[in-house]
Amino acid sequence: MRGVQYYFERDLMRWTRSRRAVFASLVMPAAWLIFVGLALPIRFTNNYLDFITPGILVMTMLFASLQGGTLLIFDKILGFLNKFLALPVPRESILFGKILFIAFRGLLQSTVILGMAVLLGVKINYFATIPLTYFVLFIFGILFSAIATTIALLVDDYDSYASINSMVSMPLFFTSSALMPYELMPHWLRIIASLNPVSYAIDIIRALFAGNFLLNEIMELIAGAIIVLMVSVHVFRKATV
Amino acid sequence: MSVKTYELTKYFGKLCAVDHINLDIGNEIFGLLGPNGAGKTTAVLILTTLLKPSTGEAYVCGYDVVKEAKKVRNVISYVPQDMAVDIKLTGKENVLLFAKLYGVADRKKRVDEILELMGLSERADDRVSGYSGGMRRRLELAQALVHEPQVLFLDEPTLGLDVSARRKMWEHISSLKKKGVTIFITTHYMDEADKFCDRVAIIDRGKIVAMDSPAKLKSGIGKDVITANVSGEFKGLNIEGIRFLGREVDIIKFMAENGSEALPLLSEALSRQGLKVHSLSVREPSLDDVFLQNVGTGEEQGSFDDHKFRNLLRRRK
Repeated sequence: MRGVQYYFERDLMRWTRSRRAVFASLVMPAAWLIFVGLALPIRFTNNYLDFITPGILVMTMLFASLQGGTLLIFDKILGFLNKFLALPVPRESILFGKILFIAFRGLLQSTVILGMAVLLGVKINYFATIPLTYFVLFIFGILFSAIATTIALLVDDYDSYASINSMVSMPLFFTSSALMPYELMPHWLRIIASLNPVSYAIDIIRALFAGNFLLNEIMELIAGAIIVLMVSVHVFRKATV
Repeated sequence: MSVKTYELTKYFGKLCAVDHINLDIGNEIFGLLGPNGAGKTTAVLILTTLLKPSTGEAYVCGYDVVKEAKKVRNVISYVPQDMAVDIKLTGKENVLLFAKLYGVADRKKRVDEILELMGLSERADDRVSGYSGGMRRRLELAQALVHEPQVLFLDEPTLGLDVSARRKMWEHISSLKKKGVTIFITTHYMDEADKFCDRVAIIDRGKIVAMDSPAKLKSGIGKDVITANVSGEFKGLNIEGIRFLGREVDIIKFMAENGSEALPLLSEALSRQGLKVHSLSVREPSLDDVFLQNVGTGEEQGSFDDHKFRNLLRRRK
């Protein structure tokens, strides 16, 4: 467990010392919140900002997680991974430290977005909404950072990773329930959206904002995260012999 | 014995990167020499538990590198050639991370000690982004030494360093040996290996082709080396007491039992072949000559296989 903590601290220190990266990671979700949430003339809901905020929170987490795979890619390319693998601490701590850091960083970014949303007028009516939202975002973050690190283990260079990332991230977001309710989707999109793990997280958080608790969906999300984590550990062990 | 291997072999597909290697290394500076892609790094990766051998066995400090990998990792340190230090962290933070990961007791004190030893105390709290190449290398050495390993693996430790940084690096390595650390080095700088290694092994296409102390290897190939600077096509020659060693563009090297007697004979023989001889010189053999004799010219190494090999290695990283 100690190893996980040390690897986590290393990534945290490196990230907080690159201010530009910290700032840049917040621009896109903020832009969505302001330009789409406030400006788009949408008729299906009285307050589109209220509707879109859970979607943007999950998007922040999604992009932060997928982006996080580059951390492992660079450790691999630059020789850090080999140095770490030759150390006596359990090798899996490298992987867990990375996944934990990526999810944690995503939570920090989501916090800024949530604060912005509140400033822009989103109302939070139930006290339990906040901690539960964090919990769901965290599980979702673990799920997708495990996916991201697994991809990073399987590809060899940054370019391949970046192309996979851009291929996956936007379609995942647009085929989710982030931007419109299921009733208004064309039939084919409704099917894709209801299967998309991103929609799971969004629906759960949207329900939390409305004061509802979707236990089944939460359990399914947790189960998904555990399965992906197991796959990730398996791939890691195979890749590092 | 600190490092021992029996018929150690590694295949990447059909390619045999390490071919039945037997090593027996004690408290010494041991240099593994060879052209790029000869299998040096692969051998080190196996000994540092980062790759599994295909067949054969390897032991570090008595521990099997496959079955007791974790125990091996406790007693070794590995510094790859990439120079991987976190440039946004300070020198001290870089070393502290490794002290934590190794579970070093009283780590603050130990980190200061090792930074002092590597001559980095003054810059310890500066970010590594401002460090020179030599300082970064010494910082990596500090990371590797923070837990006092018994065997230290260094992959091309002086690659890309300037003359004074190299000398410093070798001074540190030599003083480590005196403290009882076994040092396993790969390099392709022959002059450095000649000066600082107790024993060297020359590896070519995965096979060890020569292994001994540099002095013995040099005396083993003959007494004098004659270097001829010529232009024209060399057809080979047959004079008693003179042996062809290798050719690098216009420079042809020969071995001779008695250099000064061989010079006129050689000059005549080469002229008779229609070669224009620009200069001839006699000197004592160097490790370069040993290498040339065992491995052949640099040209042969640039073949297609070599590229394939290097890509394969890169993919394994």
